[in-house]
Amino acid sequence: MTDSIISLSGVHKDYVSGPELVHALIDVNLEIAQGESVAIIGQSGSGKSTLMNILGCLDRPTAGVYKLGGIDVTESSADERALVRNRLIGFVFQGFNLLPRTSALENVELPLVYRGVSRRRRRELAAAALEKVGLADRAGHNPSQLSGGQQQRVAIARALVTESPVLLADEPTGNLDSRTSLEVLALLQTLVADQGISLVLVTHEDQIARCASRILTVSDGRVQRDEPNPEILDAAELRAEMG
Amino acid sequence: MNSLLTALRLAFRAITRSALRSALTALGILVGVASVAIVVSLGRAATEQVGSRIQSLGSNVIYVFNRSVAKSGARGAAGTGGGLTEGDARAIAREVPSVSQVTVYSDVGMQVSSSFENTRTKVVGADVNYFDVRGYTINGGRNWTPSEELTRAKVCLIGTTAAGALFENMDPIGQTLRVGKHPYRVIGTLASKGQSPFGTDQDDRIVMPIGSFRARVAPSPGRRVEMIMASAPPGSESAAVRDMEALMSQRHHIAEGAEADFRVRSQAGFQKRQAEVLNILSVLLLSVAAIALFVGGVGVMNIMLVSVTERKREIGIRMAIGARASDIRAQFLAEAAAIALFGGVLGLALAGGLTFALSAALGWDLQLSRDAILTGLATSVVTGLLFGIWPAARAASLEPIEALRHE
Ligand SMILES: Nc1ncnc2c1ncn2[C@@H]1O[C@H](COP(=O)(O)OP(=O)(O)O)[C@@H](O)[C@H]1O
Ligand SMILES: [Mg+2]
Repeated sequence: MTDSIISLSGVHKDYVSGPELVHALIDVNLEIAQGESVAIIGQSGSGKSTLMNILGCLDRPTAGVYKLGGIDVTESSADERALVRNRLIGFVFQGFNLLPRTSALENVELPLVYRGVSRRRRRELAAAALEKVGLADRAGHNPSQLSGGQQQRVAIARALVTESPVLLADEPTGNLDSRTSLEVLALLQTLVADQGISLVLVTHEDQIARCASRILTVSDGRVQRDEPNPEILDAAELRAEMG
Repeated sequence: MNSLLTALRLAFRAITRSALRSALTALGILVGVASVAIVVSLGRAATEQVGSRIQSLGSNVIYVFNRSVAKSGARGAAGTGGGLTEGDARAIAREVPSVSQVTVYSDVGMQVSSSFENTRTKVVGADVNYFDVRGYTINGGRNWTPSEELTRAKVCLIGTTAAGALFENMDPIGQTLRVGKHPYRVIGTLASKGQSPFGTDQDDRIVMPIGSFRARVAPSPGRRVEMIMASAPPGSESAAVRDMEALMSQRHHIAEGAEADFRVRSQAGFQKRQAEVLNILSVLLLSVAAIALFVGGVGVMNIMLVSVTERKREIGIRMAIGARASDIRAQFLAEAAAIALFGGVLGLALAGGLTFALSAALGWDLQLSRDAILTGLATSVVTGLLFGIWPAARAASLEPIEALRHE
């Protein structure tokens, strides 16, 4: 599996919580290929978010090696990790994490600001990304003026504006109703299909997980099951059936 | 460059979001920058204005003033005809060798009229040496003669401001003006000297022989005068001051160590006092500036620390999508500088108003110079940056994951 974009080997993560040591991840080995969509499921507290934070270079493993795009990022400096996050990773969070009092367009521009892209080019790229998620007409709106589904689509636009190869989504539909969830998921599926993005998606909803090509079950910090999804659901179809 | 502009844009947005809080904090910076700007302006005024104007009083002039002595309540205040007399002036001319010329001086502000206009001006009684001692040039007509002085002739010389008010563009020489009910013939005009260091217009005056002045304008028993002025050759001022003090003490029967009813002061002495006053003022203002800037700086630091805490999540989001620690630091430094700059601009506005008011009050041509504006702006920005260092470092040192977890 040399063509993996993501490669974890022997990854552990311990938290010191008061007097106790919490083993949040235990010996995780994981390879994800370019263009794959992986759903991570598991009970609350099983270690899904911890895994996502490590994949996103937001946190470092206690032990083990993480290679992203062939580069070992386990021991890289803070600035290098910032660069990796900017170039290789797009984030979609459960709570959207848009900047308040900042227009949708400017939110989408933000990753490009830290890439040193000129203002005019930023505008163009951000507008195009908003167009892709169907929010061209809301470019000037602040997050508070947008619905949950719209906010999450802005966040997705922000993640895809950089054309990063990896999209990490930790419970992206956790704050959305089922119809909107399917709409957001349909959008993610389109991105994976059209742009060859690798998607890692945490969810606790069975239906959402079955929209991915591979399902990973985490339990007590270990990967308990890792198998391909024999029957990938089409979120757009499911949404259409609901009327 | 691009990211600096972006940081500034972010900063201005943060400021407008909490305009009131920023304005309150900016108050310290405001006062500090205003003080700094005024000090810079004053410094310029001190060197350029005061120096040249003291020269305009006439070179090496020594003044003898009346002085009211506390223990003799009957004596009037300085300038109301205390103890100095024409006799004192003659004695100085006669007995102090280090003095070259001596004149007496009295004045009164009053209404004066020509056949066209009337105006309020200063009417001065002096003797024939007055113009030399004070450095006036007679640029038209002539001085009065000793015989005109003796006969208390109704003649006068006129400064450009008074001449303009009374005769407009006409040549004043040969014209008649009235002081009280008496007509005086204008026999000479004085070249313009501008403002004195005390802010009075040295061209707004009519000068006549002291005898004429005492006889018809302001009678003074005992030939009292308000002031005696003497000129001394360069280098002999201090000797002249000493000798004049000795002579006057003797004539006025002042015992050793007792308080005199007069005061001798050289022009150099004035200059020194002016410089002292300006120095004290500058030190005072700079102390105010230092304290105010410190208070303002601490305020900026406070705002920024609160801002860093309130915006932890924002910092986390920015870091997650690729902001480096240096980007975050630059953003918060720029915000601190911008808040301080906001106060600095207000401070310069205040300084502009104050220098305008000071100019009017002191009669100085005090202006908020370009240097003062630049110094003020730089002061505020540097203050903001200095006091922004710690909060910015705190923001930059956050771990992305910790910052993101913040609610
Ligand atoms: N910052 C932390 N400090 C201490 N313990 C933590 C921290 N984050 C997570 N944990 C613990 O690690 C385990 C896994 O948490 P998490 O990855 O958030 O689970 P999930 O996302 O699957 O619900 C839990 O037991 C949780 O209490
Ligand atoms: Mg979680």
